[in-house]
Amino acid sequence: MSVNRKYDAIVVGGGHNGLTTAAYLARGGKKVLVLEKRHVLGGAAVTEEIFPGFKFSVFSYVVSLLKPEIIRELQLPKFGLELVPLESTFTPLEGDYLIRWADHDLTRRELYRHSPNDAEAYDRFGKTMSQIGLSVRPILQTIAPDPTKLGWSGASTLLDLGKHFRSLGQEKFEHLTKMMTMSCADFLDEWFEFEPLTATMSASGIIGTFMGIRSPGSAYVMLHHYLGDIDGVFRAWGFQRGGTGAVSMALARSAEHFGAEIMTETPVSQIVVKNGRAVGVALENGDEFEANVVVSGLDPKQTFLNLMGSSDLPADFVQSVENFRIRGSSGKVNLALDGLPDFTCLPGKGPHLNGAISISPDIDYIEKAYDDAKHGNFSRQPYIDIVLPSVLDPDMAPPGKHVMSCFVQYAPYNIKGGWDDQKREAFGDAVVDALTRFAPNLKDIILHRQVITPLDMENTFGLTEGNIFHGELALQQLFFLRPVVKWADYRTPVQNLYQCGSGTHPGGGITGAPGEMAAKKILKEWR
Amino acid sequence: MKRYDAIVVGGGVNGLTTAACLGKSGRKVVLLEKNDTVGGLASTEQFADGYKSNTVIDSVPWINEQVVSELELENHGLRFTSSNSGVTTPAGSGKVLTLSSDSHETVRSIAQFSQSDADKWPAFCNKVAMLTDFLKPLYGMTPLPIPELDLSSFLSMKPMLAPYRKHGRKALVELLRILPMCMLELLDEWFESEPLRGTLAVAGIRHMNQGPMAVGTAFVFLHNHVGTGGSIRPVNFIDGGTEKLVSALESSAKSYGVELLTGSEVKNITVDNGTAVGVTLKNGEEVESHCVVSSLDPKTTFQGLVGNDRLSPQFSRRIKNIKMRGATARVHYTLKELPNFDGLHKELLKGIVSISPSLSYIEKASDASKYGRISKEPWIEFTVSSLREKSFAPAGKHVLSATVQYAPYHLRGTDWQSARDELGSRVTDVMEKYAPGFRSLIEHQEVLTPEDMKSRYGLTEGNLNQGEMMLDQFFFMRPTIDSAQYLTPVGNLYLCGAATHPGGGLHCTNGHNAANEIIKHLQSV
Repeated sequence: MSVNRKYDAIVVGGGHNGLTTAAYLARGGKKVLVLEKRHVLGGAAVTEEIFPGFKFSVFSYVVSLLKPEIIRELQLPKFGLELVPLESTFTPLEGDYLIRWADHDLTRRELYRHSPNDAEAYDRFGKTMSQIGLSVRPILQTIAPDPTKLGWSGASTLLDLGKHFRSLGQEKFEHLTKMMTMSCADFLDEWFEFEPLTATMSASGIIGTFMGIRSPGSAYVMLHHYLGDIDGVFRAWGFQRGGTGAVSMALARSAEHFGAEIMTETPVSQIVVKNGRAVGVALENGDEFEANVVVSGLDPKQTFLNLMGSSDLPADFVQSVENFRIRGSSGKVNLALDGLPDFTCLPGKGPHLNGAISISPDIDYIEKAYDDAKHGNFSRQPYIDIVLPSVLDPDMAPPGKHVMSCFVQYAPYNIKGGWDDQKREAFGDAVVDALTRFAPNLKDIILHRQVITPLDMENTFGLTEGNIFHGELALQQLFFLRPVVKWADYRTPVQNLYQCGSGTHPGGGITGAPGEMAAKKILKEWR
Repeated sequence: MKRYDAIVVGGGVNGLTTAACLGKSGRKVVLLEKNDTVGGLASTEQFADGYKSNTVIDSVPWINEQVVSELELENHGLRFTSSNSGVTTPAGSGKVLTLSSDSHETVRSIAQFSQSDADKWPAFCNKVAMLTDFLKPLYGMTPLPIPELDLSSFLSMKPMLAPYRKHGRKALVELLRILPMCMLELLDEWFESEPLRGTLAVAGIRHMNQGPMAVGTAFVFLHNHVGTGGSIRPVNFIDGGTEKLVSALESSAKSYGVELLTGSEVKNITVDNGTAVGVTLKNGEEVESHCVVSSLDPKTTFQGLVGNDRLSPQFSRRIKNIKMRGATARVHYTLKELPNFDGLHKELLKGIVSISPSLSYIEKASDASKYGRISKEPWIEFTVSSLREKSFAPAGKHVLSATVQYAPYHLRGTDWQSARDELGSRVTDVMEKYAPGFRSLIEHQEVLTPEDMKSRYGLTEGNLNQGEMMLDQFFFMRPTIDSAQYLTPVGNLYLCGAATHPGGGLHCTNGHNAANEIIKHLQSV
């Protein structure tokens, strides 16, 4: 059967950014079609019942940065968005523990127990971080100009940013510069002395990144994760009731509400280009759809190197996309449990299990995990960020049972000898062993285990090299350099072809920001 | 009590440059050096009976041309040795990679390992030349007081126009893209052969505490190529030993009437009402001046000579937060005869030999430093200097000097007193691997640890750059955001050492820039 239907816009990929773009375009009155290759929507933000009765946020597991404008403009609460705040971060140690709570006084008391200096510094740090967060917000909300060819609007954008930085003053600008360039460990070392604290805070600077906490540049990734903070005092991260897939479903329902059409199990094989213009897409089954505008929510390598012929693109552009750094570094282990893990340092059930649990006992622990990875192995003792969604949302598991989501670093995509079943299980074992060190009962209560390697992520979610951010958040891949200079404003060298994924400014995370900004750019340029 | 127009503390190359430039401008200048000779890191010294070596630095990648011409250093005896053997890397089974000043030879040498790399080499050299064209004028200017810019700061950027006109805006954006990279990323875009990648990566990590996978090492690579016009990993030896750069500066300074007082250790810088008014020597003598210039690193200058109680809490915190962490050591050997390196003939030993078989070899070496250990298999770069300088060793015997990383200043579980021999034997082990029988040729060895760099040259934590060359300590952030224009928050107190823009090396630019700034201020008083 050869279908030949025409749309105003086709969005390739039903991840949360693709859905956001689709919703905005539909809201703008366009006839929109979303094409997703899998049977579920959401890309990396999906909920699936992996084992009977046990539902998992298969990959992305917490929501932090979803922009309030998007929630409002797309009426997401009406379509099922319901965020439950993460109450704490618990770092088990040998014989002791560290917990940071959403409650300021509780955290202060806890920190004071470990270091009075750090308890004091923590407040000042929170203020500084929220100021820095506010000072970069205008950049994140600006469509990146093309610095190689500044027109009036580009020049005025840069001038505005210049004025903005001038208004920050010396001290804030100094902090900002340091955040953009230093390693988390060095940056935090200027503030704190209690190592489990610096280690746990540093860890947000490596998530999704092929860097260690001593790698310069990692402080920026930490900042990126801090942007979700409401008041800067605590990472204001939350669970979505029903898993992160429910965020995607809310976006999808909103898009449909505005009139978008969504098709799953419809893999696109090619973006059709005629005379330098994108005119539609061809599906793997041979069908074709025509459109005035094609928007790709996939990462730049998938979009330009897999879905298009190199003859459709300028050679230097292809070269730049090939040079785009997209090394995957993370894995995921999803456990179905017969009960709750019992931590030696803080036994029994308690509020410490409601929030995040971080296996990050000291700086060297995390740095050594990175050393393993950069030399081509998975970490023998990995950094793990854990949540137990079923504690707050009992629907996720059968009564009395639990689901445990373990985000793990590092698992390099380019592992020596390549990934195979044996290595996947060995990696899973390393994760369980690292957890058992702090919660000895864990091994006995595991009912099922799902281990996801970067290769699995590439195969399942279409993430090149399993990189969760569609490209590393390195300085040379930010703002007007993301993903390629001159093409950082969601446009591409092919007319009527746009990008809206995390590979564009301002980057990864469940933010919806690239999707929203791309849609707004497309609507503005519509002719 | 003696009075001068300016006092310069510390007689390294930058202190000497500043003193000479100020002397040339007609000011009455005294330079105070604690050791018995000036020179600092550029010293050449006797380390065993009848043997001399360049104590810390053998090859000088580049020297500021303006300094050479303004101070007439050539008339004062500065010459480079004519033989240029380049950098050679043994790559196993008798094969070697040589990067020399002869580009055809270099391309041929690279082609042994990868034809694709050889084909890309000329384009790579051009790219480096283009990028450093932008850095050169940037290096010669006083950093802008970012973010508080005004019209005059924009006007001061005038020298940047020339490369901008030559290469265009695209090239400038390309520089912005490359500066924050690590060597791994930069090299991934160009080359595949490991000996080449390893050898190039070295220019990004020399005298650093980081490995080639650390962000910002691409900037250090460019830093080491600023004045070289696209010649990659240039090897320039100073005729007669590195000290001849010092004696040329010394003689130039003296010709402008600068008083050089050696053996004169400064005990403190006198600050009155937030302003420097002179210095007090160890022997109690006081010297007065309304302009004090320190070529020492900021920690030594402010925590040691000024005193924390004289600083604002904010500035004091900034000084405390400067990262030093030296990780470079030197080992000097006296050898009975020339060692036999597989594939390395005598001419190549005259140049620099780098033990950098791959990028990951260097990265592994750097891992140790993070945990306070000496690298098991360190990166080593050496030269047999007695082949160039007959006066360095008795006839028939030889001096081999090696730069070694990583040897972190902060060792865990031990100290440098006890780890010195371990470092020496690690280096000897690697040398033995590449030149079987090397150990039996050693008559004497001297190990210079980061601790020694500190005690000999006053370098905090033994950091040869007076502060890590990282992006957060670059340009307007070097050494701190409020002292990057050479003048410090302590009135009339200036910095002129490697701690300032544009960072470490024997290029003398820091001293020259600082002098320009000081002359401007003195004129306006």
